[in-house]
This record gives sequence, C-alpha cells and structure tokens, in this order.
Amino acid sequence: MPTTPRLALVVDDQPTNRLLASTLLKRWGWTVLEAESGEAALALSGEHAFRLVLLDISMPGLSGEETCARLRATPQGAAMHIVAYTAHAFPEDRERLLANGFDDTLIKPISRQRIEELITHLG
Amino acid sequence: MQLPAFMGGIRGKLIAIFVLIKVVPLLLLAWFAWHATSLLGGDVSEKAGGMADAMLATIKTIGTTVTDDSIRALDLRSREAIEALTTDTAKEIASFLYDRDSDIRQAAALDPSEASFRRFLAERQRDIHQHGQWKLADDGKSWIPEIPVVREAKVTRPILPDNAKDFHARPPEYLGEAERRPLFVEMTYIDLAGNEKIKVTHGNLTDKRLRNVAERSNTFVKAESYFPELKKLKPGDIYVSDVIGAYVPTQLIGPYLPAALDKAGKPFTPEESAYAGTENPVGKRFRGIVRWATPVIKGGQVAGYVTLALDHDHIRQFSDRLMPTEERFTPIADAIKGNYAFIWDYKSRSISHPRDYMIIGYDPQTGRPATPWMDEELYAEWQASGKPSDEFLAGVQPFRDQNLKRKPARELVKAGTLGLDCRYLNFSPQCGGWNAVTEHGGSGSFVIFFSGLWKLTTAAAIPYYTGQYGKTPQGFGFVTIGANVDDFHKAATETAAKINTLVAQKDASFKAQRSELLDHISDSLSATALGLWGSTLLMVIVVIGIAVWMAGLLTHRITAMIDGIHAFQQGDLGRRLDARSADEMGELANSFNRMADSVEESFKRLDQARAEAEEASRQKSAFLATMSHELRTPLNGILGFAELLKLELADPTHQEYAGIIRQSGEHLLNLVNEILDLAKIESGEMTFKHIPTPIAELVTECAAGHQVAAESKGLRFALHLAADLPEQFYTDPMRLRQILNNLLNNAVKFTERGEISLAVSLKDGDVAFTVRDTGIGIPPASLDTIFEKFKQLENFLTREHGGTGLGLTLVKQLVDHMGGRITLTSEVGVGSTFTVFLPA
Repeated sequence: MPTTPRLALVVDDQPTNRLLASTLLKRWGWTVLEAESGEAALALSGEHAFRLVLLDISMPGLSGEETCARLRATPQGAAMHIVAYTAHAFPEDRERLLANGFDDTLIKPISRQRIEELITHLG
Repeated sequence: MQLPAFMGGIRGKLIAIFVLIKVVPLLLLAWFAWHATSLLGGDVSEKAGGMADAMLATIKTIGTTVTDDSIRALDLRSREAIEALTTDTAKEIASFLYDRDSDIRQAAALDPSEASFRRFLAERQRDIHQHGQWKLADDGKSWIPEIPVVREAKVTRPILPDNAKDFHARPPEYLGEAERRPLFVEMTYIDLAGNEKIKVTHGNLTDKRLRNVAERSNTFVKAESYFPELKKLKPGDIYVSDVIGAYVPTQLIGPYLPAALDKAGKPFTPEESAYAGTENPVGKRFRGIVRWATPVIKGGQVAGYVTLALDHDHIRQFSDRLMPTEERFTPIADAIKGNYAFIWDYKSRSISHPRDYMIIGYDPQTGRPATPWMDEELYAEWQASGKPSDEFLAGVQPFRDQNLKRKPARELVKAGTLGLDCRYLNFSPQCGGWNAVTEHGGSGSFVIFFSGLWKLTTAAAIPYYTGQYGKTPQGFGFVTIGANVDDFHKAATETAAKINTLVAQKDASFKAQRSELLDHISDSLSATALGLWGSTLLMVIVVIGIAVWMAGLLTHRITAMIDGIHAFQQGDLGRRLDARSADEMGELANSFNRMADSVEESFKRLDQARAEAEEASRQKSAFLATMSHELRTPLNGILGFAELLKLELADPTHQEYAGIIRQSGEHLLNLVNEILDLAKIESGEMTFKHIPTPIAELVTECAAGHQVAAESKGLRFALHLAADLPEQFYTDPMRLRQILNNLLNNAVKFTERGEISLAVSLKDGDVAFTVRDTGIGIPPASLDTIFEKFKQLENFLTREHGGTGLGLTLVKQLVDHMGGRITLTSEVGVGSTFTVFLPA
C-alpha cells in the first residue's frame, strides 16, 4: 500500500520535541501529524499512510521500538520510513534500533541540516 | 628413559616395584636352587663315577695283588716241587748208578764165562717206557699218536658228601708202554792186554766180535778209551766211563714237518733225522752206553777186567718221562712247551735230552767228539783256527762270557750238529747258573727268559761219586728241569683271567649302573628343573597378579581422588573426596576437601563480587545512558529552537543572541558527549571495533570539513598521504575519526596564522597520523599534563577558545585503548605537532 508523499508523523511524549520536528518538517513543505504516544501513533497510522514517521523511543506506554514493530505490521508499514527520534546517542543504541526495524536514527539534539538531509533523501 | 605407557602411572610403578622386589628375588632364588641342584647333580655324578672307578680300581688292584701273590705263591710252591723233583730224580739216578757199582762188583766175582755172563745180563732187566707208534697228522702240521691214549680217573664208589669238596682222583700214572729190557747191552772180560776174552751182548748196538779194546778204534763208536784207565785200577776199584754214543744230527730244529723241511730245501726223511719227542717221534735215536769196569782178581792178582756197558736208554728214562706239570709223567717229551728234564754229565755235557740231536756224542767214523753247538763268535774263532772242533775247543776257556745276547751259530744249525756242551754253549747263560747251584753238590733254580719262554730252571747234582765222578761234589753231573713258568701258575693266571673277566663284567655293570645313575640324576635334574621353573613361573604369575591387585587396591583410591580433583577442576566445586579412611590418604582427602571448601567459598565470594560489580557497572551504564538521554532531550529544544529563532529573527543583534544560545548549547552538547565518552572508557563500557578501514578515504573525508573551517580562518590546510600506505588497516573507524577531528579541531581553533597539516605515513609498522599547526604552541611545563582532564592551559584557553578541556584527554584515552600512542612536540608561538601511532 503506497504512502502519502510528504505526510509525516512525529511521535513524542514531549510537546517541545514534537513541535521542533514538526516545525522543521513543515518548513520543507511536509504535512505533519503529531502523536504523544505509541498508541496514538498506531491509531493514526490506521487513518493515514505516513511517508515518514519520527518515533521517540523512551515513551510512557508503548515504547518506540514496540510501536515501530507494530507500525511495520500495518499494511503500509513496509513502505513507511520509520526514523528513531531519540536522545539515545550511543553507537550501540543506533545499531540496536537499526536492527529492530528502524530505517534511520535522528539523534537529539537535532539540527535543521539533519532534517534537511533526511527529507532530501526521501524525495 | 622413556617408561612404557602402562608404567607411567603410580599403578604401573607399583606393579614394577612389586615385580622387582618379588619376582627378581624369586627368579634369583629359583636360579640359585637350580644351580645348586645342578652342581649337586654334577657332584653326585662325578662322585658316583669316581666311587665306581675307585671300586673298580680296588677290585683290579685286589685282583692283580691276589693274582700276583697267587702266582708268587704258586711259583714258590712249584719251584719247591720242581726242585724236589729234580733232587729226587738226581738221587734216583745216583742210586741207580750205585746199583750198577754193585753189579760190576758182582760181575767181578763171577767165574768169567759166557754162560755166567749171559745169565748175569739176563738177570738184570728193567722197564723202559716207550710211546707207541706215531704218525704225521693228515694235515701234515703235527705228529700224532696212531692210537691216542685216553686216561681218565675211574671212580666207581659214591663220593661221600664229607669228601665232596675238591674231590679229585687221578688215573694210574702212565709213562708209556713198558718194555722189559736188559740194563746192559754188553758184558766183557778183558785180559790184561786189552783183549776181549768173553763178550756177551744184547741187541745190535755194540760189536759182537772180540776185539782188543786197548785200540780205541775197536771200541764203541771208536770213542772209548777206558783200557788205559783200567790199568790204573786196584782191586776193588771201579771205573765208570762217560756217556759214549754216536752223535745223531738233525736236519732242523723244531717240529720235523714237511712244510718246515720244504722251507729248508731238504727232503722229508724224518727217520734219517734225529728223534725229538713230539717234534719228530719217528726219528733216529741216540744210542749210547756207560761202561763200568773193575779188575777181576785171581789169586790176589789182577787177572783181567770185567766190564758192563749200561744201556744209556735206562738213564734217559729218568729224565725223558718226567713232566714238571700236573701231568707228572709223559710217554713222550714235548720240548716245544718248555717243560722237560735233561741230564748233564760232570763236564756239563748234555747226556739226556728230549731232542736227541742235542745229546753230545761222537762221530762214529773218527771217534772224535761231534762238534757241539756254539755261538757265532766261538764258531767264527773255530772256523778261523782250522782245527778239528775238539782240538780247538780244548784250548778254549769254558763258560766264556755266556749271555743271552749271543747268537747261536747258524752254520751249525744248518749242519745239524747241535750237541749241547755247556762249556761252549755261550749263548745259553743258564749253563753257568746250573753249575753255580750244583758244583758244590746241591740243587737250586732260577728263572730265565729263553727260547721265547719264561722258564723256571732247576738243577740238582747227581750224588754219584764212583770213579772219575768222585772228583767233584757235582758227582755224575746234574739233572735240570725246565718248566714253563706260565704253566706253574696256570691256576693263578686262570684265576686272574677270571678276576679280569669279573672286573670287566663289573666294569661294564658299574658303567651301566653309573650311566643309569647319571641318567637318573639327569632325569631327576630335569624333573627338578621343570618343577622349579614351573613353580617359579606360577609364583611369578601369582606375584604379578597380587601386584596388579594390590596396585589396583592402592591406586584405586588415588585414581578416585584424581577423578574427584579433576571434577573439581572442571568446575564441580561441590565435589568432595571420600575422607573416611584414617590413613594418609584420608588425611590427603581431608586436606583437599578443606581446600575445596575454601576455594568454593572464594569462588562464591568472587561470583558475588562479580555480580555486584556487574550490577554496579550495569547501573553505571544505565546511569550514563539515562544521563545522556536526559541531557540531550532538553538540548534538542534549546539548539533546535535557537537555530529556528536565528532564522526567524530579522534583527542581526537578535540573530547574534540566538546564535550565542545555539553555540552555548552546542558547547554543552560537546561537553556532554565527551564526558559520556570518558565515562564509558573509564567504566570499561566502551567497545572498540577492529574492522578493515580504508585509510585514505577516512582521512580525506575527515580533513575536508576542517579544511573549510581552516580556510575560512585564512589558514592553509595541507593533507599528506604517504605513497606506501596500505589501502586499509584494522581499526575502529569511528574512534579514529573522533581522534582526528579532535586534533584538527584543536589545531584550527588554536591557530591564527599559517598552516594546518595532516600527514599520514608508515612508521615502524605503525600508521602515524601527524597533525601540525603553526598556532600558539604549548609551554613546556604543560606538555606533561596536557592530556589530563581539564588541564587545557590553566582553563584560560578553555574559556577563550571554547574547549571543553576534555578533548585531548579523550584522544589519549582512545589511542591507548586502540593499542596506540600519542606524542606531542610543541613550542610556544611556533606551533604544535601531535602524532598518533596506531598499529597497522
């Protein structure tokens, strides 16, 4: 199932982080939905075919990794570009996340330039 | 020395020791026993053999001694017997001769007339024993009697048991066929002129005509010369002549047999040759006389002489029939066997001999004495003298140097004139011996090896002293008996032979017994050896079995202990040894168990400590992660929104403020990153990769960013890659990048003018990364501490240049953990050079 181009979902329990990511994506012309939890993200994913999902890892409720796994299980899960949006900056963290279904990592603190690289890559 | 595998263990060694201390002595013992037994066997064999030999030797010695003694005894007895026989014979002869003295006296008293003389002779007869007719055996190799005489003792009555021992009977003595013959062959009456006036003869021996005996040629064999002697006789005197007879030559010495004659190249005419007993029983006999004479007195005057000629055969009877053996008498003498008797006259001439040709006689043609047998030397002398033998011999010293080495004259043997005259028989020393024992009238004997036989020879003077015979104590002469010594002690030699046979049998028997004994000993030894070695082998097997069992018993506990220790070693820390026994092994097990307890306790504590450490580490890691996470989360907002704010603000001043917020945030982020890295390194949390890394690519990419920063500050930037660099090397690329970035950051940061350079080359097997700047440099005092935390030039620089003060510390820590090293040379105002060496 194809995803909707330039439709992104930012999942983070902290509104500041959601706002920063949304703002930066929107500056590049993306449509951004936000979710404050994994459960909310999964709910939204049933309604939208997100091209990009920025998914925080340490969240109350469903963890980012669990959420990622569930998203991947949705019909459009395979086509989704799921990026870990996390402050877990250790190299081993990144390796673990990539191994657990994430396409990329976006280590906090993020920069405009990093977002730019990410979405340029997605086209 | 490499022990065999099975000997390696204690068990093997124990078995070996057991075997050594048990089996070796056992084998030695067995060998010793065997050796001793063998020695004993050998000794017994030898002793037994020696005993048998000694016994045999003793028996032999006894046999020899007994035989020798017997021989000696028998010889002595025989000698005595033969001497007695000789003496008795001599006495008998003398007695016989004295009887003839009586005869002549009686004859003298007769009225001389033919009738009275004839009557006188007829009255005097005596038996002469003769053997019967003999003939040549059919094979011609011996003479045999035509009618063999078998003499057997006749015993008709039963022999009483008491007499049975050595009961012995002899048949009547047999001297031959008796022939009654007159003693005298002639009786004469002679007048004073020598004319025979009356003459009565018997037989044909003497001349029957009346002759004048004064003329020698008219006498018997022209050899009598008694008439001159008669003239000297006074009334009552008796004259006795020598033995007078014609010499009978022989054709050969020894058995007269055709083959012998043939060999001698002579015709076989036994009757022509001299009689010689069994050697020639048909030969020509010696016939002789001994004449007695005495004056016949008439009217007190010698009117004439009466003579009696004794038939010599009567004298011969005394010696011819004698046998000095158990036969005692024989009808025929057998000279070959060496047992015979003979008679010698007062001149030591042979007058009676089994071989008639050895009786001295006269040549009937000349009346001269026949030539006697001589040795070669005397014969040669005689031949050289050119004289008749009697004349020659008359001048020769009698008994001259007689000895057995002299050789008989062969020419005389050929001539057959072999009359024995002891005086000239120089190759026959017994002549001297006989005279030695008889010349004083006695008798005696000696043993001599003669004619190939050991002979006992005896001699006894004939005590007849009438007339001329009265001149010496020897009298008429002497009788000798020759006896084959071997015959005397035949019994002894037979006994000796028996003993020798017995000894030989015993010898054989002993040898057989000895051989049997040796076999028995050998068998016994074999059995002993078999038993000994068999039992030794059995004992060895048992000992080895016991050794294996005991070793097993002993080592079982050790191996159990070793198994326990192994299990413990392999991690079974709860394993304990069986320490129930109260011996050293139990003590050892106890010690081990105590040690195991303590090791287990230590392990437990270690595990606990490790768990605690691990828990601490885990908590530390979790803390670091949480810390990192919690610090970064707010920085996300700070940095992100500061950047956005800078973009959104129109006022440059506001933009600058927003920029400051952002820079401060970034500084904080760096600080956080570096603190976390250091913390990870120090806690051992940091892991380093070791993967193939393309050097040139990494370095070029790393340099690019810093080149921009440098050039934006107006600095030159140079990158030097050595030509001999490997394409890639094993390292952790992320950490290498972090190192280079830190160093290059510092270089750009602390350099205001000049050049920054990064050179990569190979140095002594390391890859050397050299970052050189022309910056402010580092004072020497700080060179040693520059890599310590927060030592960035008295914090001054930190503040001025925005460094965290942790960068170089981190770099050094990373380099150290990557197995490399970092060097620094610097001069204040000139610049600094950092070189990182990483193993290629």
